[in-house]
Amino acid sequence: MIVAEQKSLEEIKNLVGHAEKVLVLGCGTCVTVCFAGGSREAAIVAAELRMTSKLDGAPKDVTDATVQRQCEWEYLDEVADQVGQVDVVLSLGCGVGVQAIAEHFPNSWVVPGLNTKFFGLPTEQGVWEERCAGCGECILGLTGGVCPIARCSKSLLNGPCGGSLDGHCEINDDVPCGWQLIYDRLNSQGRLEVLMDIQSPKSWRTARDGGPRKIVREDLRLGHQDH
Amino acid sequence: MPGDCHYLEGNVNAKRRVAAAQSLLKDIGLEPERIAMFNLSSAMANQFVEVAKEMTERITELGPNPLRISQKESEL
Repeated sequence: MIVAEQKSLEEIKNLVGHAEKVLVLGCGTCVTVCFAGGSREAAIVAAELRMTSKLDGAPKDVTDATVQRQCEWEYLDEVADQVGQVDVVLSLGCGVGVQAIAEHFPNSWVVPGLNTKFFGLPTEQGVWEERCAGCGECILGLTGGVCPIARCSKSLLNGPCGGSLDGHCEINDDVPCGWQLIYDRLNSQGRLEVLMDIQSPKSWRTARDGGPRKIVREDLRLGHQDH
Repeated sequence: MPGDCHYLEGNVNAKRRVAAAQSLLKDIGLEPERIAMFNLSSAMANQFVEVAKEMTERITELGPNPLRISQKESEL
Protein backbone atom coordinates (compact mmCIF):
# COMPACT_ATOMS: atom_id res chain seq x y z
CA MET A 1 0.00 0.00 0.00
CA ILE A 2 0.91 3.65 -0.24
CA VAL A 3 1.80 4.75 3.28
CA ALA A 4 1.26 8.33 4.41
CA GLU A 5 1.00 10.31 7.61
CA GLN A 6 -0.90 13.42 8.55
CA LYS A 7 0.63 16.84 8.46
CA SER A 8 0.53 18.78 11.72
CA LEU A 9 -2.64 20.73 12.42
CA GLU A 10 -0.55 23.91 12.38
CA GLU A 11 0.62 23.21 8.80
CA ILE A 12 -2.89 22.27 7.73
CA LYS A 13 -4.21 25.55 9.19
CA ASN A 14 -1.60 27.49 7.22
CA LEU A 15 -2.45 25.63 4.03
CA VAL A 16 -6.17 26.25 4.44
CA GLY A 17 -5.45 29.89 5.25
CA HIS A 18 -8.42 32.24 5.34
CA ALA A 19 -10.76 29.95 3.44
CA GLU A 20 -14.14 29.93 5.18
CA LYS A 21 -15.66 26.81 3.67
CA VAL A 22 -13.49 23.71 3.79
CA LEU A 23 -14.15 20.17 2.58
CA VAL A 24 -11.91 17.56 4.21
CA LEU A 25 -11.86 14.72 1.68
CA GLY A 26 -10.72 11.28 2.81
CA CYS A 27 -9.78 8.33 0.65
CA GLY A 28 -11.10 4.81 1.27
CA THR A 29 -8.11 2.85 0.05
CA CYS A 30 -4.40 2.92 1.06
CA VAL A 31 -4.58 5.84 3.48
CA THR A 32 -7.59 4.30 5.22
CA VAL A 33 -5.69 1.15 6.12
CA CYS A 34 -2.65 3.12 7.28
CA PHE A 35 -4.95 5.27 9.46
CA ALA A 36 -3.87 8.55 7.87
CA GLY A 37 -6.75 9.70 5.67
CA GLY A 38 -9.83 7.48 5.84
CA SER A 39 -13.35 8.50 6.82
CA ARG A 40 -12.49 8.42 10.53
CA GLU A 41 -9.44 10.63 10.10
CA ALA A 42 -11.36 13.00 7.81
CA ALA A 43 -14.03 13.44 10.49
CA ILE A 44 -11.39 14.05 13.18
CA VAL A 45 -9.46 16.61 11.10
CA ALA A 46 -12.73 18.37 10.22
CA ALA A 47 -13.63 18.56 13.93
CA GLU A 48 -10.15 19.83 14.78
CA LEU A 49 -10.42 22.58 12.16
CA ARG A 50 -13.89 23.58 13.34
CA MET A 51 -12.77 23.77 16.97
CA THR A 52 -9.45 25.52 16.44
CA SER A 53 -10.90 28.08 14.01
CA LYS A 54 -13.62 28.86 16.54
CA LEU A 55 -11.02 29.37 19.26
CA ASP A 56 -9.09 31.62 16.86
CA GLY A 57 -12.20 33.78 16.50
CA ALA A 58 -12.77 33.02 12.82
CA PRO A 59 -14.97 29.92 12.71
CA LYS A 60 -14.81 27.93 9.52
CA ASP A 61 -17.58 25.91 7.93
CA VAL A 62 -15.83 22.52 7.71
CA THR A 63 -17.46 19.40 6.27
CA ASP A 64 -15.99 16.03 5.48
CA ALA A 65 -16.56 13.25 2.98
CA THR A 66 -14.70 10.16 1.86
CA VAL A 67 -14.56 8.56 -1.56
CA GLN A 68 -13.55 5.00 -2.31
CA ARG A 69 -10.48 6.11 -4.28
CA GLN A 70 -9.35 9.69 -4.84
CA CYS A 71 -7.09 8.51 -7.67
CA GLU A 72 -9.91 7.67 -10.09
CA TRP A 73 -12.12 10.23 -11.81
CA GLU A 74 -15.40 8.34 -11.41
CA TYR A 75 -15.13 8.26 -7.64
CA LEU A 76 -14.42 11.99 -7.57
CA ASP A 77 -17.58 12.64 -9.59
CA GLU A 78 -19.53 11.58 -6.50
CA VAL A 79 -18.32 14.64 -4.58
CA ALA A 80 -18.37 17.15 -7.45
CA ASP A 81 -21.24 19.14 -5.87
CA GLN A 82 -19.52 19.31 -2.48
CA VAL A 83 -16.22 20.34 -4.06
CA GLY A 84 -18.00 23.11 -5.95
CA GLN A 85 -19.52 24.54 -2.78
CA VAL A 86 -16.31 25.11 -0.79
CA ASP A 87 -13.38 27.52 -0.91
CA VAL A 88 -10.76 24.81 -0.47
CA VAL A 89 -10.54 21.02 -0.51
CA LEU A 90 -8.18 19.56 2.09
CA SER A 91 -7.29 16.18 0.60
CA LEU A 92 -6.40 13.37 2.97
CA GLY A 93 -5.41 11.24 -0.02
CA CYS A 94 -1.88 10.47 -1.11
CA GLY A 95 -0.11 12.79 -3.54
CA VAL A 96 -1.90 11.03 -6.39
CA GLY A 97 -5.27 11.79 -4.84
CA VAL A 98 -4.45 15.47 -4.36
CA GLN A 99 -3.41 15.78 -8.00
CA ALA A 100 -6.41 13.81 -9.24
CA ILE A 101 -8.68 16.35 -7.50
CA ALA A 102 -6.66 19.23 -8.92
CA GLU A 103 -6.89 17.78 -12.45
CA HIS A 104 -10.54 16.79 -12.25
CA PHE A 105 -11.70 20.08 -10.73
CA PRO A 106 -9.33 22.61 -12.33
CA ASN A 107 -11.21 25.58 -10.88
CA SER A 108 -11.01 24.28 -7.32
CA TRP A 109 -8.30 24.95 -4.80
CA VAL A 110 -6.92 21.76 -3.27
CA VAL A 111 -4.25 21.38 -0.59
CA PRO A 112 -2.62 18.25 0.89
CA GLY A 113 -3.34 17.16 4.44
CA LEU A 114 -0.90 14.25 4.32
CA ASN A 115 2.75 13.62 3.60
CA THR A 116 2.99 10.61 1.28
CA LYS A 117 5.86 8.48 2.51
CA PHE A 118 6.45 5.16 0.74
CA PHE A 119 5.15 1.83 -0.59
CA GLY A 120 5.12 -0.46 2.39
CA LEU A 121 3.30 -2.75 4.75
CA PRO A 122 2.36 -2.90 8.43
CA THR A 123 4.83 -5.12 10.29
CA GLU A 124 2.73 -4.80 13.46
CA GLN A 125 -0.24 -2.65 14.40
CA GLY A 126 0.89 0.96 14.27
CA VAL A 127 4.20 0.24 12.48
CA TRP A 128 4.72 0.54 8.71
CA GLU A 129 7.91 -0.23 6.82
CA GLU A 130 9.04 0.46 3.28
CA ARG A 131 9.26 -2.53 0.96
CA CYS A 132 9.17 -1.26 -2.62
CA ALA A 133 10.85 1.71 -4.26
CA GLY A 134 8.85 1.54 -7.49
CA CYS A 135 12.03 1.31 -9.58
CA GLY A 136 10.12 0.03 -12.59
CA GLU A 137 12.11 -3.15 -13.16
CA CYS A 138 11.57 -5.75 -10.43
CA ILE A 139 14.55 -7.91 -9.47
CA LEU A 140 12.99 -9.68 -6.51
CA GLY A 141 13.31 -12.96 -8.38
CA LEU A 142 17.09 -12.66 -8.08
CA THR A 143 17.22 -11.73 -4.42
CA GLY A 144 15.03 -14.19 -2.58
CA GLY A 145 12.06 -11.84 -2.48
CA VAL A 146 13.90 -9.14 -0.53
CA CYS A 147 14.34 -5.88 -2.44
CA PRO A 148 17.88 -4.49 -2.41
CA ILE A 149 16.66 -1.24 -3.92
CA ALA A 150 14.20 -0.47 -1.13
CA ARG A 151 15.85 -2.27 1.76
CA CYS A 152 19.55 -1.58 1.23
CA SER A 153 20.23 2.05 2.14
CA LYS A 154 22.61 2.31 -0.82
CA SER A 155 20.45 0.23 -3.18
CA LEU A 156 23.43 -2.01 -3.91
CA LEU A 157 22.98 -4.87 -6.35
CA ASN A 158 25.87 -7.22 -5.56
CA GLY A 159 26.08 -7.72 -1.84
CA PRO A 160 26.47 -5.53 1.23
CA CYS A 161 28.79 -2.59 1.74
CA GLY A 162 31.32 -2.38 4.57
CA GLY A 163 28.73 -0.77 6.82
CA SER A 164 26.87 -4.01 7.44
CA LEU A 165 27.49 -5.05 11.05
CA ASP A 166 25.81 -7.94 12.90
CA GLY A 167 22.94 -7.81 10.44
CA HIS A 168 22.36 -4.08 10.89
CA CYS A 169 22.82 -1.19 8.50
CA GLU A 170 25.34 1.49 9.39
CA ILE A 171 22.72 4.21 9.14
CA ASN A 172 20.84 2.93 12.20
CA ASP A 173 20.87 -0.14 14.41
CA ASP A 174 17.11 -0.37 13.95
CA VAL A 175 17.53 -0.88 10.20
CA PRO A 176 18.35 -4.44 9.14
CA CYS A 177 20.97 -4.78 6.43
CA GLY A 178 19.03 -5.56 3.25
CA TRP A 179 21.79 -7.76 1.92
CA GLN A 180 22.00 -9.70 5.18
CA LEU A 181 18.27 -10.39 4.79
CA ILE A 182 18.83 -11.51 1.19
CA TYR A 183 21.71 -13.77 2.19
CA ASP A 184 19.81 -15.30 5.13
CA ARG A 185 16.73 -15.94 2.98
CA LEU A 186 18.64 -17.59 0.15
CA ASN A 187 20.81 -19.53 2.62
CA SER A 188 17.74 -20.91 4.42
CA GLN A 189 16.39 -22.02 1.05
CA GLY A 190 19.68 -23.57 -0.04
CA ARG A 191 19.83 -21.26 -3.03
CA LEU A 192 22.98 -19.23 -2.34
CA GLU A 193 24.24 -20.02 -5.84
CA VAL A 194 21.81 -17.34 -7.06
CA LEU A 195 24.22 -14.77 -5.65
CA MET A 196 27.03 -15.97 -7.91
CA ASP A 197 25.43 -14.14 -10.83
CA ILE A 198 26.91 -10.66 -10.89
CA GLN A 199 24.33 -8.00 -11.60
CA SER A 200 25.32 -5.42 -14.19
CA PRO A 201 24.66 -1.77 -13.45
CA LYS A 202 20.92 -1.17 -13.24
CA SER A 203 19.21 1.05 -15.76
CA TRP A 204 17.47 3.73 -13.74
CA ARG A 205 15.55 4.94 -16.76
CA THR A 206 12.64 2.82 -15.60
CA ALA A 207 12.70 4.63 -12.26
CA ARG A 208 12.28 8.36 -11.65
CA ASP A 209 15.53 9.09 -13.48
CA GLY A 210 13.70 8.56 -16.76
CA GLY A 211 11.24 11.33 -15.97
CA PRO A 212 7.49 10.98 -15.35
CA ARG A 213 6.37 7.46 -16.15
CA LYS A 214 3.38 6.20 -18.08
CA ILE A 215 1.90 2.85 -19.01
CA VAL A 216 -0.31 2.36 -22.07
CA ARG A 217 -2.22 -0.90 -22.48
CA GLU A 218 -3.62 -0.98 -26.00
CA ASP A 219 -5.65 -4.08 -25.17
CA LEU A 220 -7.56 -2.15 -22.53
CA ARG A 221 -8.10 1.12 -24.36
CA LEU A 222 -11.49 2.12 -25.74
CA GLY A 223 -12.52 3.60 -29.08
CA HIS A 224 -10.25 5.56 -31.39
CA GLN A 225 -7.74 7.01 -28.98
CA ASP A 226 -4.17 8.03 -29.64
CA HIS A 227 -1.66 8.61 -26.94
CA MET B 1 -3.16 -1.52 37.20
CA PRO B 2 -1.09 -1.10 34.02
CA GLY B 3 -0.97 -4.37 32.12
CA ASP B 4 -3.28 -6.02 34.65
CA CYS B 5 -6.57 -5.24 32.98
CA HIS B 6 -9.84 -7.13 32.59
CA TYR B 7 -9.18 -6.60 28.87
CA LEU B 8 -5.61 -7.93 29.21
CA GLU B 9 -3.40 -5.14 27.80
CA GLY B 10 -6.37 -2.85 27.22
CA ASN B 11 -5.32 -0.21 29.74
CA VAL B 12 -1.79 -0.07 28.29
CA ASN B 13 -3.31 0.58 24.86
CA ALA B 14 -5.74 3.08 26.37
CA LYS B 15 -2.85 5.02 27.90
CA ARG B 16 -1.40 5.59 24.42
CA ARG B 17 -4.77 6.67 23.05
CA VAL B 18 -5.32 9.11 25.92
CA ALA B 19 -1.90 10.62 25.19
CA ALA B 20 -2.94 11.00 21.52
CA ALA B 21 -6.23 12.65 22.57
CA GLN B 22 -4.31 15.07 24.83
CA SER B 23 -2.06 15.92 21.91
CA LEU B 24 -5.11 16.61 19.72
CA LEU B 25 -6.57 18.94 22.35
CA LYS B 26 -3.27 20.81 22.64
CA ASP B 27 -3.04 21.24 18.85
CA ILE B 28 -6.58 22.56 18.73
CA GLY B 29 -5.83 25.10 21.46
CA LEU B 30 -7.54 23.47 24.45
CA GLU B 31 -5.88 22.40 27.69
CA PRO B 32 -4.70 18.77 27.40
CA GLU B 33 -5.30 18.34 31.15
CA ARG B 34 -9.04 18.22 30.39
CA ILE B 35 -8.59 14.54 29.70
CA ALA B 36 -6.66 12.19 31.95
CA MET B 37 -6.33 8.52 32.72
CA PHE B 38 -5.95 6.98 36.15
CA ASN B 39 -5.33 3.31 36.88
CA LEU B 40 -7.61 1.89 39.55
CA SER B 41 -8.97 -1.51 40.40
CA SER B 42 -12.58 -2.12 41.41
CA ALA B 43 -11.39 -2.56 45.00
CA MET B 44 -9.92 0.96 45.27
CA ALA B 45 -12.95 3.00 46.27
CA ASN B 46 -11.02 5.52 48.35
CA GLN B 47 -8.54 6.19 45.59
CA PHE B 48 -11.43 6.59 43.15
CA VAL B 49 -12.88 9.32 45.34
CA GLU B 50 -9.48 11.06 45.47
CA VAL B 51 -9.11 10.90 41.70
CA ALA B 52 -12.66 12.19 41.16
CA LYS B 53 -11.95 15.10 43.52
CA GLU B 54 -8.65 15.86 41.81
CA MET B 55 -10.24 15.87 38.37
CA THR B 56 -13.16 18.02 39.53
CA GLU B 57 -10.80 20.57 41.07
CA ARG B 58 -8.68 20.61 37.94
CA ILE B 59 -11.65 21.14 35.63
CA THR B 60 -13.14 23.80 37.91
CA GLU B 61 -9.85 25.68 37.84
CA LEU B 62 -9.62 25.42 34.06
CA GLY B 63 -13.18 26.71 33.71
CA PRO B 64 -15.84 25.85 31.17
CA ASN B 65 -14.92 24.62 27.71
CA PRO B 66 -14.29 27.86 25.75
CA LEU B 67 -15.88 26.31 22.67
CA ARG B 68 -19.16 25.89 24.54
CA ILE B 69 -18.96 29.46 25.83
CA SER B 70 -18.56 30.84 22.31
CA GLN B 71 -21.40 28.58 21.17
CA LYS B 72 -23.69 30.01 23.84
CA GLU B 73 -22.65 33.56 22.96
CA SER B 74 -23.44 32.94 19.30
CA GLU B 75 -26.85 31.58 20.29
CA LEU B 76 -27.71 34.75 22.25
